[in-house]
Amino acid sequence: MSLTVEGTVQRSPMGTGTWALVTPDGSTYEILKGGAPKDLLQEGLQVKAKGKVREDVMTIAMIGPVLEVKSFEVIEP
Amino acid sequence: MKRLLLIGLFLTGLLWALLSFSGLANPGEYQSIVLDFREDLAVGQLEKELGAIAQTYGIQPVPNSVFSQSDHLYIVDGDAKLLKALRRSPLRQATESIAPNYIYHALEVPNDPDYPKQWNLRSINIEGAWDNTKGNGATVAVIDTGITQVIDLKNTKFVKGYDFVNDRVDAADDSGHGTHVAGTIAQSTNNQYGVAGIAYEASLMPLKVLSAEGGGTITDIAEAIRYAADHGADVINMSLGGSGDTSVLREAIDYAYKKGVVVVAAAGNSNGSSAAYPSRYPHVIAVAALDATGVRAPYSNFGAGVDISAPGGLTVNGNPAGGILQNTIDPETGASIFTSLQGTSMAAPHVAGVAALVKSVGIEDPNQIAEVLKKSARRMPGDELNQYGAGQLDAAAAVKLAQQGNLNARHFFGWLRENGYLSLKFWFDGGAVALVPKIIMVLGSYLLAWFLRVYVPVSLPLLGGLVAGSTGLFFLKGFYIFDLPQYPFRLLGSSIPELGSAIQGSSVLNPIFASVLIPFALIALLLSHAWWKWFAVGSALGVAACLAVSAIATPEVLWLGSGAIARTFLAFNALLCFGLAALSAKAVHERTAT
Repeated sequence: MSLTVEGTVQRSPMGTGTWALVTPDGSTYEILKGGAPKDLLQEGLQVKAKGKVREDVMTIAMIGPVLEVKSFEVIEP
Repeated sequence: MKRLLLIGLFLTGLLWALLSFSGLANPGEYQSIVLDFREDLAVGQLEKELGAIAQTYGIQPVPNSVFSQSDHLYIVDGDAKLLKALRRSPLRQATESIAPNYIYHALEVPNDPDYPKQWNLRSINIEGAWDNTKGNGATVAVIDTGITQVIDLKNTKFVKGYDFVNDRVDAADDSGHGTHVAGTIAQSTNNQYGVAGIAYEASLMPLKVLSAEGGGTITDIAEAIRYAADHGADVINMSLGGSGDTSVLREAIDYAYKKGVVVVAAAGNSNGSSAAYPSRYPHVIAVAALDATGVRAPYSNFGAGVDISAPGGLTVNGNPAGGILQNTIDPETGASIFTSLQGTSMAAPHVAGVAALVKSVGIEDPNQIAEVLKKSARRMPGDELNQYGAGQLDAAAAVKLAQQGNLNARHFFGWLRENGYLSLKFWFDGGAVALVPKIIMVLGSYLLAWFLRVYVPVSLPLLGGLVAGSTGLFFLKGFYIFDLPQYPFRLLGSSIPELGSAIQGSSVLNPIFASVLIPFALIALLLSHAWWKWFAVGSALGVAACLAVSAIATPEVLWLGSGAIARTFLAFNALLCFGLAALSAKAVHERTAT
């Protein structure tokens, strides 16, 4: 199930620290760290990310659905 | 007949007051009795009295200590029976008091130097539990990122575990999360080093299913659950969660449950109104997180599926004081460090640790252990959104309740909850509604309608009005459909006076709604309608009953407080509502008669 999510990349303090993609309406996805594109993980980056929700993965941060990002593009705020 | 009814009403109120009286606290234990003789007693007379006691009861009073003779303070061995006999004897005249010699226990305070920083352990009342048990004999499986035996876990017992990520026996931690969670459960305690853990005489079983990055697959998690159940774990802690429902995981949990394992999981950190998987599964105790003030932490999930709450901490702007402090590893260097973390990840192991304590005093059945934890939790009044589940975890109360051992009363809502779980689509919070006042409100509104029976014919719209005004469909208040907002059910489950605060889920009445205003508007609008007028009259009577009961039982009104002003306001409006209903019913009656 592939989807596109627009939002802001944010550092989350939950667990031992993780990365979140927060949409303008407040939904939070947890970015799956293993395999995430390197330059995606920057605080405040506005992106349009393509990927899929990994329902078979559980995490210690538990901040929202786990998003495995395949590709992304930076959008101007 | 009317008088009979009024007497009936009064008796109902009295019965209710008696039922809600919780009784005196247990006064304590004693094995001896203190005799405090009058100071003005002559030495000869005192000796005569002491001799008389020895002769009559066959016991020898002894001075409490070498300092007691001048105070005339003597001790005799004895129980409640002797105490009663002594108090009735002529000895009374010679003494200032005859009292039980209560035994005071010093609470167990561990010597770990950073124990004072563990607000979380004091907030779950751990010292009172340690008087009875430290978890000896129980085994807790920690399904997480692994456990590294850091310095403050050196005295903790371990059983063999497994690393499902790398497929090897050594389940060491490479993230720092699992070791921290294990520390809350069983950090080496009273070792003059670092911090304390809850069930520090229990054994830990390290099961690694999550990578250094903090994620893992449900297949590994399911295998770890089965491993724990097959290798003698009594309790499983899962400080992990996700959004997917899979039969693999559900069946593994059922397998562990059938083998008698208590499964505890974190409710999740997305501030949503439903617990995450796997905590929301049947037979899993879902734990919400509290901050240092005992309030739900802002990140914690709540609502559907949440069973209990425990300290998870809150580290505002990186300030560690509000977090949960344990010994773990630095993921970069692997060195042993003390660090404060926050999350429902930290709340779950508090419950798992106390479950191990309960297990170690002899409760075997996982259902009963869950029941003990929930029943002994400190209930949070006015928890309309189920932010706290059964309440705040209380270790001392849980161990005490476990030792009493009478746990067979499974009430109606428990049954409903179990059955609600079956579909995994909806969930019922039995604690959302205080049942007794609601029943009195419904009955009261019928009684008011009965007073006006000459003018008010019993009809469907009238009954509808009575329900809408007095209680609403109150059983819906605690009804949830997973992952959907709950407020529509809260609205349906609220009476007219409660509507003003239903959306925000507060039990405080809004004085605009909890007044004669809405019944007045309804009657003004509907009185000329053949059918709806009876709904309007019924709602006025219902609101009258609701406000009258609230004035006595829960008089908390926005802006007016909960004192005499609020009570007077509610009672006055109840009278206005009844008067309004009576006048308009009479008017209708006269209009139809002419």
